Amino acid sequence: MATTREVTTTDRAWRRHDRRGTVGLLAGPLLWLLLFFVIPVAFVAAYSVGAVTLFPTDTGVVSLASWERLLTGGSVYMSLFWKSIRMSLTVSAVVVLLAYPTGYFLALCVRRRKYVLLLLIIAPFLTSYLLRVLAWKVILGDAGVINSFLTTTGITDEPVSWLLYSQFTVMLVLAYIWVPFVALPVFVSLENLDRSLLEAAADLGASRFRTFVRVTLPLSLSGIFAAFLFVFIPTIGEFVTPLLVGGTSGYMFGNSIQDLFTKGLDWQTGSTLAFFLLAVVAALMTVFGRFLRMRAVVQ
Amino acid sequence: MSDIATSPNTRRGLILFFSLLVVFLYAPIVILAVFSFNDGDVSFPLAGFTLDWYRRFFSNPNILESLERSAIVASISSLIAVALGVAASFALLRRRFFGKSGVSALVFSPLVVPYVVFGISLLVIFTALDKFLVSSTGSYIGLGLHTVVIGHVVVSLPYTVLTIVPLLERLSVDLEEAAKDLGASPWQSFRRVTLPLLMPALVSAFMIAFTLSFDEYAIASFLAGETPTWPVYLFAQLRVPSQLPQLLAVSSVVLVASLGIVLAAEIGRRLAERRYGGELRPSA
Repeated sequence: MATTREVTTTDRAWRRHDRRGTVGLLAGPLLWLLLFFVIPVAFVAAYSVGAVTLFPTDTGVVSLASWERLLTGGSVYMSLFWKSIRMSLTVSAVVVLLAYPTGYFLALCVRRRKYVLLLLIIAPFLTSYLLRVLAWKVILGDAGVINSFLTTTGITDEPVSWLLYSQFTVMLVLAYIWVPFVALPVFVSLENLDRSLLEAAADLGASRFRTFVRVTLPLSLSGIFAAFLFVFIPTIGEFVTPLLVGGTSGYMFGNSIQDLFTKGLDWQTGSTLAFFLLAVVAALMTVFGRFLRMRAVVQ
Repeated sequence: MSDIATSPNTRRGLILFFSLLVVFLYAPIVILAVFSFNDGDVSFPLAGFTLDWYRRFFSNPNILESLERSAIVASISSLIAVALGVAASFALLRRRFFGKSGVSALVFSPLVVPYVVFGISLLVIFTALDKFLVSSTGSYIGLGLHTVVIGHVVVSLPYTVLTIVPLLERLSVDLEEAAKDLGASPWQSFRRVTLPLLMPALVSAFMIAFTLSFDEYAIASFLAGETPTWPVYLFAQLRVPSQLPQLLAVSSVVLVASLGIVLAAEIGRRLAERRYGGELRPSA
């Protein structure tokens, strides 16, 4: 008797717990994200159409004027945006070209210590982002490692100035930053490849090259695509690397957002640019998001 | 035996490529460390070995303060992110509710939102809040470490969920059922059964969130106000060339420490997952 009653009490507690529990579990994370993520972003959208006024210079008139200025009539920000897109596309392509052979090597050529070598490639990504950019500034500067080496050994008389503060430098450093991270999705897609398909191709008389082009490459396309997006999406909004090694020619769309908020103090234009960038990323995620299987990568 | 994926020549080529890539990835970091021991400017030729820069940084109150601020921000934001991450992981894995895919999209969306956009969004909302407070009460909150913590929790949360979910998935629901059958209350079963088993994932989630926050510049640069965290301080000091060797010394210490922490977290998590994999799944 006594046991039956105990069990029912427990059961009741658990049923009550299940009902309220879901709300309780979701309350914390959702409230935090709502207050400090969703509302602030919505506020920026409102700011961009003039529905919010914070400074005396804000017009306080609700209109799409700042959006019109951004999207029509060859605005300087739009050309900057396309330049950033071009840079991000280049960086993503270079990174994938470097990461693919790495992932291929680790997944298909290495038998032992595969994961140790993978970790060797990934480890730099887990260290400070800012310090890895700083390292390049130290290496490429006028009085930096390369130039001081070139001048003291007499290879050149003057320091090579285009090494630092150029579009090329920004892309080099961004590629350096993202290669380790992107080796992972490529490795995962090749590691999960069914080896018997390769054997079948060989048995049917296909050369290694033909097997690669007709079997391996098509089957790893989703990994390549994920890798591409993993670089492309975070680099479109990049502003720290251009700030450190880009100079004026390496200036990107993200820099103009930062400048409008910290130097120019035109927060309404800044909000328009920021929300535009967010909309672009959201659109990319809606169309291509299914290629980014985050869970598969993390496990 | 011939390999189906690579010919011997391709294999040699790939080994060479891999080695060069490792050099490319590590050379800048090594150079950074080498110049932190160099008795002179950050340029060739090397002028001899010194520990002077390390000595100077240990007696530079500005650097130490900024490191301390970052440690405080990282500790608090990671604790909150792990707590919220546990709740979100349980809800997403163990509960059915309306709008689950929407909630999951929301939790993971900070992974793809550009940090510059998120940073200015918080800057705008806190400025608006202060303006409202000044006009209604005459006082204001202002920017500072608390606003950095708030921002870092948002961007750390998806990483904590991604770290906790795989292990939670392997913990059989049967264990919670067993605790229930033995008369445990929901809280007891969580506290005494689930939480201890989940501990490895919580520790590594904390460490990942900690290193992420400790190093984070983009968001902190908008929100730190008059209290620069370490990356914000570092960035500001880069304009002063004489400071550089000293900063390289701190950077080397931070690099080695963060590498150690993250590797420990990663190895611990994989070991735990492997250990639980066989034992805790019912007939799998």
